[in-house]
Amino acid sequence: MNGRISKIGIVLIGCFVALFVQLNRVQVFGAAGLNAHPENLRSIDRSYERSRGIVATADGVVLARSVDTPGSDFARRREFPEGELFSQVTGYYSFEYGADGVERAFSDELAGLTDAQRYDRFSDLFVDRDRSADVTLTVRSDVQQAARTALGDRKGSVVVLDPRTGAVLALWSYPSYDPNRLSGDDIEAIRVAWDDLNADPDQPMLGRAYRERYPPGSTFKVVTGAIGVESGAVTATSPVFPMVSSYTPPASRNSIGNFGAMVCGGTLVEIFTVSCNSAFAQMGTELIGPSKMVSGVGRFGFNTTVPFDLPSPAISVFPVRYGAELSPGVYEDSARLAQASIGQNDVAATPLTMAVVASAVANDGAVMSPHVVERIESREAKVLFQRVPSRWQRAVSPATAALIRQGMESVVTRGTATALVIEGFVVGAKTGTAEVGDGEATNAWVIGYAGTPGAVPSVAFAVIVEADPGIGEQTGGRIAAPIARAVVEQALKPMQPVSGG
Amino acid sequence: MVRARRRAELGLLLLAALIVTGAYALASLSRAAALPHDLGWFVGVVVGLFVVGHLAVRRLASDADPLLLPLAGLLNGLGFVFIARMNADLAAAQALWSLVGMAGFVVTLGLIRRARSLESYRYSFAALGIGLLLLPSLPVIGREINGAQIWISVGPMSFQPAEAAKLALAAFLAGYLVDKRELLALSSRRLGPLYLPDPRHLGPLLVAWGVSLLVMVNQKDLGSSLLFFTLFVVLVWVATGRAAYLVLGGLLFGAGAFGAYQLFGHVRDRVSIWLDPWSVAKGAGYQVVEAAFAMADGGLTGTGLGLGNSGRIPARETDFIFAVVAEELGSVGATAVLLAYLLVIGCGLRIALQAEYPFEKLFATGLTTLLGFQAFVIIAGVTRVLPLTGVTLPFMSFGGSSLLANYVLIALLVRISDETAKRRAVGREDPQRSVGVAEVSA
Repeated sequence: MNGRISKIGIVLIGCFVALFVQLNRVQVFGAAGLNAHPENLRSIDRSYERSRGIVATADGVVLARSVDTPGSDFARRREFPEGELFSQVTGYYSFEYGADGVERAFSDELAGLTDAQRYDRFSDLFVDRDRSADVTLTVRSDVQQAARTALGDRKGSVVVLDPRTGAVLALWSYPSYDPNRLSGDDIEAIRVAWDDLNADPDQPMLGRAYRERYPPGSTFKVVTGAIGVESGAVTATSPVFPMVSSYTPPASRNSIGNFGAMVCGGTLVEIFTVSCNSAFAQMGTELIGPSKMVSGVGRFGFNTTVPFDLPSPAISVFPVRYGAELSPGVYEDSARLAQASIGQNDVAATPLTMAVVASAVANDGAVMSPHVVERIESREAKVLFQRVPSRWQRAVSPATAALIRQGMESVVTRGTATALVIEGFVVGAKTGTAEVGDGEATNAWVIGYAGTPGAVPSVAFAVIVEADPGIGEQTGGRIAAPIARAVVEQALKPMQPVSGG
Repeated sequence: MVRARRRAELGLLLLAALIVTGAYALASLSRAAALPHDLGWFVGVVVGLFVVGHLAVRRLASDADPLLLPLAGLLNGLGFVFIARMNADLAAAQALWSLVGMAGFVVTLGLIRRARSLESYRYSFAALGIGLLLLPSLPVIGREINGAQIWISVGPMSFQPAEAAKLALAAFLAGYLVDKRELLALSSRRLGPLYLPDPRHLGPLLVAWGVSLLVMVNQKDLGSSLLFFTLFVVLVWVATGRAAYLVLGGLLFGAGAFGAYQLFGHVRDRVSIWLDPWSVAKGAGYQVVEAAFAMADGGLTGTGLGLGNSGRIPARETDFIFAVVAEELGSVGATAVLLAYLLVIGCGLRIALQAEYPFEKLFATGLTTLLGFQAFVIIAGVTRVLPLTGVTLPFMSFGGSSLLANYVLIALLVRISDETAKRRAVGREDPQRSVGVAEVSA
């Protein structure tokens, strides 16, 4: 019997070893992932009733603040004075449903719960004081307001960056939501609001500017063109693409037609100016090829997580598999690569990624890490965090970027985006009209940059207006470019600090 | 020898008291930035309780194992600190139950002077165990709490009879198997590829097994069902040495688990939550998900006692108390708790190994398996090693029935260890005497 009793002991020890292993998987190795899990409301619990700092725009407009609520179940509530205008950036802050946006990503800093804030001084070990910190954003209220006005009640997004730093100047999408509906202590009303917002087919809480993906259409030709130049296969003068109305990829029977059956071709700047599908499809398929396309799009932020400081940005995707190489340069799925090279097929990009693409071209090929938070400062005016612009990666060389800018500027002066001519500034752009589904409806895109002549552009942007089945075809040049123009004009003006903010 | 064991026990008890009162003071410091106003009382009661237990052992079981009581006291005390830090109302009740538990310990030692005296009551214990299990299904006193019909109420008191039933059934099994183990080890009948013993001998076992499992499954008490099943299989195997019983047990378990999965929605729910709690994080998986978040928050060294944030975890004072321990003490502290349970298991099995009579061996093995496996099952459920089955964490969870039953369990182990040590002491003086009672090697 003793032998078997010992075996029982060994089995029980084994059971407890399994517990020990799992404990460490959860508490040590998996802890970071669990702490960042979207369902994890612990940082809210920790801090719900603590005083939280202010979230303000670069020009001093208060976007979120804690207000005392005497007589309520909770000591304070979070108030968002600008309502829906900045909710895609600040997010909401709710006891029941947690937080999103800056309120989520910087919750511990706002509530004074980071170790640096908690143990700033030795006396902090014994005394409780208000350690909350204020967050200053890079977003400008005037540019954000201009974006809302220009987009109006069309579904879509506007993202404006400073290409030199990666600072987000505006991040707006319609429809939006009022985060005040999720604050406070009326749990019943908050539940109703939450259910309403989630049931809305337009998904106002999605934050589509950085969490929704769309086929980028012709705006993607900026990426294809840049990879072509960077690979050495394309220069300013060669090749001269054939003047055709459609292109049939190798090993394929389906041809890719030009917009309106237009006959086009020529050098790089010429094919940019008229957005020539046949030429860019041929460039991606025959001159660049799958492996260089796939590695090239990664340098523009596709198939990878863009290092953004708002929670859960969507990953923009570009197809990576094209089957076996049948003969040199010809793949089983060359037809797919031809479509992907003009931003169709399974290519899908967030507005943020397309703004990053434009900013890479504007900033001589260097992609700066996009961000919304500029500075975090404690109540005693001690700077806890100051953004230092950092380069995320290099998309292309400065020479390549300069050549692509020639193409994009030609699009504005004599191509599809003439609505973007702004007196006294250099503007480059690329429009896109991407079909969605089977109908006539199309997404209208425009991406680009603007700045004073002779300097690195100070504004990069991406605008998308979603397909509207009632309207039918809407082209980037006609629909999206005027919106971009209104926003860019505002962004080019020097920032005016809002007094008393 | 005697004095050394008791001195060690007293020293360990005082160490446990120091840890528990330190933890109590710390939890209060971190929540209210002040020492608890009743700290003097608390120290007095803890030390008093431990000393009472110690004196009882000294008087009634002077040669007993010196580790069991301090370990039980430590786990009980730590559990109390956590309950007190979460819910002051429950703390008062748990304090009372701790007194009752220690009283149960002393009374058990006083009443049962010879573990083998229980052997002859085996069928009474079978009847008692099954009767206790049936109580919650009776009208008037039966209560369904959180979907499981496992409570009875008499006046203001609620009780979980399954906690006592498991001790009764362990006593029955040990007694029955000692009697029949040789017959059960013989195989006279053939059933397909399996050789089975005479149904006359297997019958009562299967009846007790089947009835108790049916009752618990009917009451939706998955945890107790699993516990009893394991107890039966382990004891039959230890008693007979026939691996066929392990195979048969495994097959029955597989069939039972499959049947339960097909038949009962709550079993399917438990399994699907275990496999993927995240997709139902706001619904059915909430408890497990929040426990994982709590433990992750604790990390390696924990948030600190009283500084955790476990308010969202349902049943955090009872089944899920381990998640709170892991959050506030970190994986370091939680591992220490795991080690404390392993030490209890080690002590229990050592007592079984050293015991001279087969009944004592089987009974000690059964009791240790019950406690150790119960701790494993609930911690495994909380940490998602196994699907969650609601049982209490011995000594730590809030709950009187569980605490009392576990103190009685420890008292029985203490009793067996004392008898063995006394016999050995006599055996050393008179070497001839031990020959007659040496176990027939199985």
